[in-house]
Amino acid sequence: MRARLASALLLAGLLIAWEAWCRSGRVSPLVLPAPSGVAETLWGEVASGRLWPHLRVTVTEMALGLAAGTGLGLGAGVLLAEWPALHRVLRPYVLASQLVPKLALGPLLILWFGFGLTPTVVITALICFFPLFENTLTGLQQVDPASRELFRMLGASRGQTLLRLKLPAALPVILAGFRVAIVLALVGAVVGEFVGGRQGLGASIIAAQSVMDSSLIVALFVVITGLGMVFYEAARGLEALILRRYARG
Amino acid sequence: MPTDAFLALEGVRYRFPGDAAATVDGVDWAIPRGTIHCLLGRSGCGKTTLLKLAAGLLAPDAGTVRIDGAVVRGPSPRVGFVFQAPTLLEWLSALDNVLLPVSLKRRPRAADREAARDLLAAMGLGDLVERRPAALSGGQQSRVAMARALIAAPDLLLLDEPFAALDALTREELQDDLLRLCAARGTAALFVTHDIAEAVYLGDRIGVMAAGHLIHEGAVPLPRPRPAGIRYEAAFGAACRRLRAIMDGPSPSVGRAA
Repeated sequence: MRARLASALLLAGLLIAWEAWCRSGRVSPLVLPAPSGVAETLWGEVASGRLWPHLRVTVTEMALGLAAGTGLGLGAGVLLAEWPALHRVLRPYVLASQLVPKLALGPLLILWFGFGLTPTVVITALICFFPLFENTLTGLQQVDPASRELFRMLGASRGQTLLRLKLPAALPVILAGFRVAIVLALVGAVVGEFVGGRQGLGASIIAAQSVMDSSLIVALFVVITGLGMVFYEAARGLEALILRRYARG
Repeated sequence: MPTDAFLALEGVRYRFPGDAAATVDGVDWAIPRGTIHCLLGRSGCGKTTLLKLAAGLLAPDAGTVRIDGAVVRGPSPRVGFVFQAPTLLEWLSALDNVLLPVSLKRRPRAADREAARDLLAAMGLGDLVERRPAALSGGQQSRVAMARALIAAPDLLLLDEPFAALDALTREELQDDLLRLCAARGTAALFVTHDIAEAVYLGDRIGVMAAGHLIHEGAVPLPRPRPAGIRYEAAFGAACRRLRAIMDGPSPSVGRAA
């Protein structure tokens, strides 16, 4: 509680200092807009309804990319953990696919899928894939060998061992990967829009930049940060729920 | 070799891939129904490997392992295994951990739950059945692991130094739990340990292993039942000293000749 109060006081202090600096006239409002101006712009965007379609587009891209990327990452992680031979064959390709700067794929993806949602969703999915893949693989490989031997001794099938031992044991590690993916999904969606978006918060930033509306850019930062926090907290809530439910067995 | 052996090891040999020497090198041993045999040896002598061969977790390079006359080709539901660590599933309650061998085969019935509760109650864990492993002490976790090995009513229990990590008093309590449950259910046991006193207290017979060979096998000259105080009697000490001399004395090469 005291820490929260201190956090809030720090924020207030920073905003006041920022406002004072801008009003002193030593910096052009084009370069650094005052917080009061940003708040006004933000309110204007909200009240006029201009913000909502963009917010909806970015949230949609994020959610679709996150779902596709984490689903594929989880599946690939399970597959490669269960078939080590496959792992040895595919590992270099997976690594290479992740080392390619995915934003550099943007122009190519636009050629393939056109402007709009799809290229951004694909970029977001590619970015979300890796943390889930890596954490699933690591989590499944780290399962205690004695427990595996126990399941062998009890005559458990491969599927039973996966569903009743390996996945539950790896769950905390997999969910930690999911939390990382959430944060990256926001980055993927916003920056993906920089390259090929016509709508969305990232596309709006580019549009604001072209008319040198720095106040709108900062207002959009605030919205993006808030969106990230909402998604992150939702992921944490989901994580707690899953872990608790699993606890009941 | 008695013909009524439930577990029979015949010339069993096993070498780990890449090792120069065999870890288990031609062991013959027979364990009749309802008896407790202890396998004593220093760490690295091959006793855990022998236990895994008996369990069907490893396949011998030579020789055969028989359970009730049939050659073992893999883990059998008639054999329960207690590992060195409790290896409980931390997301399941004590009760569900005990029920694991059942729930891997079918949905547990009310009678299964009752049996699991009874087993836990018999080891003084009647009030803790809903607790998860993290909320249990080391001794309690070991008891849950033992109950899990017994839930399917196996004819033979294989135990791999299950009490090694426990303090001395808790270990004695668990030894008594084990003796009581095995006697009540007519379960045979092969108990691997490096603790001479533990082997003497628990065993009907004791085998001593060194460098992959069974260098000694003999009956424990103590009556049953054995009260806790028997550990301080002269006969107990004498039995321990004799085993210690066997473990220290003949080199493995002498054992191989014997």
